[in-house]
Amino acid sequence: MINVIDYVPGQSLLHRLNPVAKLALAAAIIAATFLADTYVMLLGLLALTFALAAYAGVAGRLVPLLKLLVPLAVVMLALQLVFVRTGTPVWGFVTTDGLVTGSKVCLRLLGVALPLVLVLMVTKLTDLANACVEVLHVPYRYAFTFTTALRFVPVFSQEMNAIMEAQTARGVQYDTKNPFRKLQLMLPLCVPLLVSSVGRTDATALAAEQRGFYLRTRESSYKRYPLAARDGLALACCVALIALGVAF
Amino acid sequence: MASGSTIICLDDVSFSYAGGADEGERALDHVSLSVCEGEFVGVIGPSGAGKSTLAALMSGAIPHHYRGSLFGTTLVDGVDTCNATLTDISRVVGSVAQDIDSQMVASVVEDELLFGLENFGVDHALIEGRVSAALEACGIASLRDREIATLSGGQKQKVAIAAILAMRPRVLVLDEPTAALDPASSTLVFETLRRLNREEGITIVVIEQKVALLSEFSDRILVMGDGRLELDGTPREVFSHGDELRRLGVDSPRVARVSNSLVQHGILPPTPPCLSVDEAAGLVAELVRGRTGRGANIAPFRAGSPHAPSPRPRAVDAEPCVSFRDVCFTYPGSGARVTDLTFDVYPGELVGIVGQNGAGKTTLTKLLNGLLRPSSGRIVVAGLDMADTPTSTIAAHVATLFQNPDRQICKDTVLDEIAFGLELTGVATDVARHRARAVAERFGLPPDEAPFSLSRGQRQMVALASVVVMEPEVVLLDEPTSGLDYRECMTVMETVREMADRGCAVIMVCHDMEVVSDFAERLLVMADGRILGQGETPEVFANVELMDRARVEPPQIIALSTMLARDVSREFAGVSQVSGIVDLVKELVSHD
Repeated sequence: MINVIDYVPGQSLLHRLNPVAKLALAAAIIAATFLADTYVMLLGLLALTFALAAYAGVAGRLVPLLKLLVPLAVVMLALQLVFVRTGTPVWGFVTTDGLVTGSKVCLRLLGVALPLVLVLMVTKLTDLANACVEVLHVPYRYAFTFTTALRFVPVFSQEMNAIMEAQTARGVQYDTKNPFRKLQLMLPLCVPLLVSSVGRTDATALAAEQRGFYLRTRESSYKRYPLAARDGLALACCVALIALGVAF
Repeated sequence: MASGSTIICLDDVSFSYAGGADEGERALDHVSLSVCEGEFVGVIGPSGAGKSTLAALMSGAIPHHYRGSLFGTTLVDGVDTCNATLTDISRVVGSVAQDIDSQMVASVVEDELLFGLENFGVDHALIEGRVSAALEACGIASLRDREIATLSGGQKQKVAIAAILAMRPRVLVLDEPTAALDPASSTLVFETLRRLNREEGITIVVIEQKVALLSEFSDRILVMGDGRLELDGTPREVFSHGDELRRLGVDSPRVARVSNSLVQHGILPPTPPCLSVDEAAGLVAELVRGRTGRGANIAPFRAGSPHAPSPRPRAVDAEPCVSFRDVCFTYPGSGARVTDLTFDVYPGELVGIVGQNGAGKTTLTKLLNGLLRPSSGRIVVAGLDMADTPTSTIAAHVATLFQNPDRQICKDTVLDEIAFGLELTGVATDVARHRARAVAERFGLPPDEAPFSLSRGQRQMVALASVVVMEPEVVLLDEPTSGLDYRECMTVMETVREMADRGCAVIMVCHDMEVVSDFAERLLVMADGRILGQGETPEVFANVELMDRARVEPPQIIALSTMLARDVSREFAGVSQVSGIVDLVKELVSHD
């Protein structure tokens, strides 16, 4: 199974940027997405995200994510169409204002989700945690909690798959086409999943402590994450992006 | 070898876990022992005997991580573990967890090794040397930049060991490091441990269920039973107590059973047990030649050794209840695949599938229970064509016992759990519960307890009970014995054999070749997604060339009988049981 947020190794400039600069870049794109109010800007920001992904060679990996996000965006659009009642009616309950706000909400949803995923695709989790600790002075235990949580996502989804397979083989009808029925069948499975994950996190805590987790300081990391000239450039881009977002 | 000073010393230690169903019961009961520097110590015992507790005690997890009441003193490098922090203890004792996935902290191998070094403040100038030395020592230098998620089970295990090793502990404590590995990878892990022990002088304490490995690699074996240290000695000393071990629920290496049995029958004067096939072969050869006083021509050739077990009779023209014809399947994305699977399984047959990890065994089982559909070829199971039968319908005919019972269990009581499968296939609730109760009674399971409050072995029994209650036409076993001790393993396999006797076709995937040779009548040998060969079990195991190609190690007794058939007497060919070898030796020795 291919995981959406797996690290993809590479040598592009995006890969070599300081993880903190990458985070800042993603944050700037997201902030600009929230501030911007024109289609041109919103589409432009999405295009920028995809251009960066294509440059780093991970654009193909974003596609499966889109398959998840687009249905969500459609639901958002439908909700906006129902709730926004101003503007001239176009067809049935649909109004012009509803269409405009709805479509912008869709674009914002994509514009917020994709940059963060892109960062995770071009950055090793360990580097991200270490750089945040070194540059941003984030306490290591928070950085570790965050990266461990992310690392457990695929582990748990594999576990869930294995549980589903075992239940399917016993005759539970997960092959049903009805999504609500499927959800109803899946809920009881939370018990075995919870049991195994509690045991797992406990084992992780013990293993980390036995490897000197509590001794770790900001200076511990073997790899250093100094900010280079290219990182300064990226930060300048961030400021520019936010300014553009405010302007348009 | 074992000549250093004491590094771990337990003096009259008892421990009981706080909370849980068995509060107050002692997981360890007055245990005293000491481990010297440079030793290679194996720990064995039935499940629930306190092996993992012993490991937790040595690594400082007790008293620092697990809550409970602890009596007695544990000294690690002369310091009482109660007075040192867990971090300080782990500078001396490195421990490799049972579940390596939860031990990993990084996504790339190199970062995994750096973690401990960075934390313990190792001088940055020394780090590079330490990392490459640890990788070298485990033979995984080429994996340095790999993503951990893409590694095989055996490789991951070595990364876990290397990550601990990089911290230069003086003792390594490992909890069942080979539980998830095939025989070849298990041997490689143990060879790595032996090298670390001999060359780096690191003391090794390893908990392990595979007796043959322990007897070959360790200097000293501790046998645990019911929280107590039952036996403590060299492998030869320990395995000469075959009967006592059996009472505890611990298996002995089959070759040790041969020599012990020969001693018992008075054929051999009391001698320490054999630990390897070569030794046993030498012993038997000498015995037979010595007694007859003649050369190699002692054994008259008889066609068809009377000591090879005859396969159980089965209806010759019965319809096969599982039939694969040219079945292919390719996983989308990864490209891993199985090709041209063709075989039949008849009612009442017990068929084993053997091969390395990644040979396609699991894929085959998933094709059989409908979790995967063939991309070409035809599968017919119990008269149903798999191409157009939903998985939930197949479930009424094919019952699967999974390796990990926790993935199967989802109900609040044992009774509900056992009845669940029946209810899913449309059996009325009261009938299902009635049948479930009968099966629960037969297995001695408490029907109203919550399954998750039971021990691992009992949970496996619950899973087995829910397979038995289905009365299926086909039973699929995926590593039915992993994580079980010898006694539990025998209970599972005896039950399965009874099901076969009642006409159920049993197909099992199993790494434990001793179990396979004891129970399976016919074997499918797989490698690289293909079936390399199939046939009667002793024949297949004796086919050296086939075993080599599939990289499968034959069980000890078959290896022994093959060797004896070549060097001593043709009559040994095909003998697959300890008793068979012993009877034949008896006959040959008293022949003239």
